[in-house]
Amino acid sequence: MQLVIASGKGGVGKSTVTASLLYLLKDEYRFVAVDADADAPNLDLLLGVERWEEERELIGAKVARINTESCIRCGICQERCPYDCIKVIDGDYVVSELTCEGCNVCGLVCPVPGTISLDEVRSGVVRKTTTRYGFPLISAQLDVGRPNSGKLVTEEKEWAKKLMGELGIEHMVVDSAAGIGCQVIASIGGADLTILVAEPTPASLSDVRRAYKVVQHFRQPAYLIINKADFNPGFTALREWAEAEGIPILGEIPYDRAIPRSMSMLKPFVEAFPDSKAADAMREIAGRVREEILK
Amino acid sequence: MQIAVSGGKGGTGKSTVAINLAIALREHYDLVLADLDVEAPNDHLLLGVELANEEPVELFMPRFDYGKCTRCRKCAEVCEEHAIITMRDGTPFLMPNLCSGCAACEIVCPVPGAILPGKKLMGHTYLTETPYGFPLVTGRLLEGEERAMPIVSRAKKRAQGLEKELLMVDTAAGTSNTVSKALEDSRLIIAVIEPTPLGIHDGELILRLAKLMEVPAMVVVNRSDLGEVAKVREIAEKYGAEVIAEIPYSENIIRSYVEGKPIVLTDYPEAGLFREIASRVVEFLGGGE
Repeated sequence: MQLVIASGKGGVGKSTVTASLLYLLKDEYRFVAVDADADAPNLDLLLGVERWEEERELIGAKVARINTESCIRCGICQERCPYDCIKVIDGDYVVSELTCEGCNVCGLVCPVPGTISLDEVRSGVVRKTTTRYGFPLISAQLDVGRPNSGKLVTEEKEWAKKLMGELGIEHMVVDSAAGIGCQVIASIGGADLTILVAEPTPASLSDVRRAYKVVQHFRQPAYLIINKADFNPGFTALREWAEAEGIPILGEIPYDRAIPRSMSMLKPFVEAFPDSKAADAMREIAGRVREEILK
Repeated sequence: MQIAVSGGKGGTGKSTVAINLAIALREHYDLVLADLDVEAPNDHLLLGVELANEEPVELFMPRFDYGKCTRCRKCAEVCEEHAIITMRDGTPFLMPNLCSGCAACEIVCPVPGAILPGKKLMGHTYLTETPYGFPLVTGRLLEGEERAMPIVSRAKKRAQGLEKELLMVDTAAGTSNTVSKALEDSRLIIAVIEPTPLGIHDGELILRLAKLMEVPAMVVVNRSDLGEVAKVREIAEKYGAEVIAEIPYSENIIRSYVEGKPIVLTDYPEAGLFREIASRVVEFLGGGE
């Protein structure tokens, strides 16, 4: 089974919840964990990973380059670039490598053959390790300023599937990126179900509703975990939304200083502070994941 | 001129800093705030306003006139996103989800009228008046669409079109090219960083991007009592960025955040921190009205 943890809004505790859930389920189930936030991967930090066993560079991003020698400075490339990535610097037309999407429109409209080339560049790395908890983790890191991190996520999931086949592992747990864009679509696409994490604030509600629409787009069931549940008493709209949409609530985790403290210790909070009230709540949630999802 | 608030990691408090700083800066500049976190835009919620003046962001999407198409496959060959597939006889089909709307297919098509300009809705931009004397421009990607870049690009243009003295940009998390697009043309980046190992890891990436883009950066440490500020100072120094403020974890800020009442307008002591950040920014940019 492939399950995804998503949230829409960043910083609501997706990776924190994922790390603790993996910790609580590791003795009963075999899974590969995938950190699909290639822009800002953090699951490895929360699981205390110190080294990667294997790292693969992903070449695949493309950026346009203009040869200033043969360029006749007609400006057509700049005019036609759909994303305004071409600037004039000291009289030369230059493609901004940090914003280019690699569509090659500039190269197609350029009247001087060979002046604009589309070069392949590194988009980032995909890497694998075995965590100290025994299960493998696949992670990735997009290079700064590179486009389409969704491809990196697809690459990660393919590696994870291969590993599952080799090692006879049954489950894949994907910690998705924030937002609803290409990385999130690559995470949710092809999965069996999504667990949404949200906190009781208007911003988190707004963003989780958007993430849920992506889940619906893929016709998957969704579940909800409410994090920092007591952080905003009186805000009932999150729970009401879940009830109205028929999204089962797996549980509520109270705001607990044990969580940021465990982050500094680079450990899942259920391991670092097993007696905390957040850990109690998390164990209850893991119990429901066992009974209702993994069965 | 333009400045940007960014932070690498999600949920570090970028939007909180952006809206409070905008309110504090309105006394110095005629400004517009642009929320370019198009996958999860929240500045309007924090400012307590409803998005208004919606404009669609539509992209070119090829429509094939199969009566004219010669099945030459050039459109499929040129498509960098592999959004056009061809049947054995060369008949092209579009997979709309993969199409980036760049129109390369139309450019190479040798038969006039065989590729028609269809349109695909990608999201919207908004221009909302706020009760604080400055407008908010918001970009919002449609759920199910993958490409944030066109929305970021269009929302930024809409904000630039207002020709205010100061454009303040609030970016998405991460350091991908959509964040670079938002940061582009900034005279200053304010990086909001949490002093946790995760926050520092991601914060370093945004400082690296700022350096690559040759934009000076200043660091605001948020929830400064939840970790080791010294480590943030270390990475800030490595990238030549100055730490200009430390904001402790605060119930008052959370309350103001959930109520949509900006803290900078209250009498809480935290308000002073944001005014201090604003005065550092004014000092750096040099004046205003």
